[in-house]
Amino acid sequence: MTENVAYEDAVDLLDADHKAVKKLFIDFNALCENDAPAEQKQKIAFRICQELTVHAQIEEEIFYPQVRKAIGDDALMDDALEEHNEAKQMIAKIQAMDASDEGYDDMVKALGTLIDHHVLDEREQIFLQARNAPLDLRGMVPALFARKKQLQQSAAKPAASPKKKREAA
Amino acid sequence: MKALVYNGPRDVQVKEVPDAKIERATDVLVKVTSTNICGSDLHMYEGRTGMEPGRILGHENLGEVIEVGPAVDRVKVGDRVCLPFNIGCGFCENCEKGLTGFCLTANPGTAGAAYGFAGMGPYSGGQAEYLRVPYGDFNCLVLPRGSEEKENDYVMLSDIFPTGYHATELAGVKPGDSVVIYGAGPVGLMAASSAVLKGASMVMVVDTHKDRLQLAEKLGAIAIDDTEGDGVDRIMELTGGKGADCGCECVGYQCCNMHREEVPNLTMNNLVATVKATGGIGVVGVFVPEDPGSKDKLGKRGQMAFDFGQFWIKGQRMGTGQANVKAYNRMLSRLIEKDKVKPSWIVSHELPLEQAPEAYENFDKRKTGWTKVVLKPGKSA
Repeated sequence: MTENVAYEDAVDLLDADHKAVKKLFIDFNALCENDAPAEQKQKIAFRICQELTVHAQIEEEIFYPQVRKAIGDDALMDDALEEHNEAKQMIAKIQAMDASDEGYDDMVKALGTLIDHHVLDEREQIFLQARNAPLDLRGMVPALFARKKQLQQSAAKPAASPKKKREAA
Repeated sequence: MKALVYNGPRDVQVKEVPDAKIERATDVLVKVTSTNICGSDLHMYEGRTGMEPGRILGHENLGEVIEVGPAVDRVKVGDRVCLPFNIGCGFCENCEKGLTGFCLTANPGTAGAAYGFAGMGPYSGGQAEYLRVPYGDFNCLVLPRGSEEKENDYVMLSDIFPTGYHATELAGVKPGDSVVIYGAGPVGLMAASSAVLKGASMVMVVDTHKDRLQLAEKLGAIAIDDTEGDGVDRIMELTGGKGADCGCECVGYQCCNMHREEVPNLTMNNLVATVKATGGIGVVGVFVPEDPGSKDKLGKRGQMAFDFGQFWIKGQRMGTGQANVKAYNRMLSRLIEKDKVKPSWIVSHELPLEQAPEAYENFDKRKTGWTKVVLKPGKSA
């Protein structure tokens, strides 16, 4: 399957995730404004968390280490990892909550703000420098794609709601 | 004569009505031999238009000329003709330019006229034994010798084949383009077929009906099953995160989400999301200026929450509206004549006129396997 992967380079692949998640955050905010039922909001938030988790993991496993080596800007890359960690903590909190809980909407919205900021940094700093660096961004695509599919599949398996999962744990 | 009459929402009936006849010197009278049920007939069938009870439906018509008015020169008795669903005068500013779907003469107050269609003028439809064709010389596409054998192909020139083709024209499809088509109904499948014909490098067809998606696959298109609501993700993946070069809307205002609930802005916003920056979008699915039957507040007023900001930021283009059938039907007819295309592959049912009411019911329910119905008024049940 990997030979048919359509993304031109790693930046395209990773930024497609950014765009998809941005759309989900817009949808989430709209649901809040329309006082939509909690389960609808939870469904979107669940997808946001799932997609961000997979995205962060493939970046950290494959993309970041190679970019760090190529551009040699440790401070920039450490910053990015720090933002990932912040996001992961918020994701864990959201996943442990129920959409009807107080503060749920604000938590998801705050995650959106953090991600907006992170995406901007990534686009303006990391992606741009990566594209200008002697780095095989095109060659990175199959590995990123394969890992993403693998993680998505294993993430999709437990169909239980986040709250149930927490209770079971 | 016998005709399929609209009595009211989900109530149509074949009954005896006064014969169609020559009313003006420029008219042609046609004995209808093939007449299709169109997806847009269903908007009327469901009572979702201003269609008046008592009107005869049917705008996808083909038949034999049995009488011509005294001012008709070109068309002769005995000619087999396919009629564009649009009625054009041929001499107004729009018809002169080939924009026959927007004729300024035939339907005062509106640009555009059609047979048996809500808001498109007083003209009777062709789901009947006979049909009056105004401005016969202009509107009749005279079919080549031997057309009887391919009648189910040629009848598609009345609407869905040119309409599907028009979607690709509005979207600006060129050889090598990737194309995403929303809707695997007859028009969507014709758009897919047209995109293949034009040399698209990849054609993706989005729907939730598995039987229809299978037809899309037969064309060599990639079927995108949006039942789980992940169609957008799949298209973005297939296009490397960029979106398709071109997109076509072949569903219309009654488009549904995965739960079969109507979400009028669903396909339009998905198009904006899945067509690339600077890409073209062609919208031939029907949208209406007013939809009192809509459950959606905006929909009632003919409005929708459209992702205009995304549309603008991506610098996309959009073309909309009915197909100007006459702009394409002659050229597409040659492709049928020379066996380059065979649009009849879409036909699932060939039925006598008498069975039209049950055909409407089954087609409206999207019963599996009911893709395209051709009625044959000449043949008895």
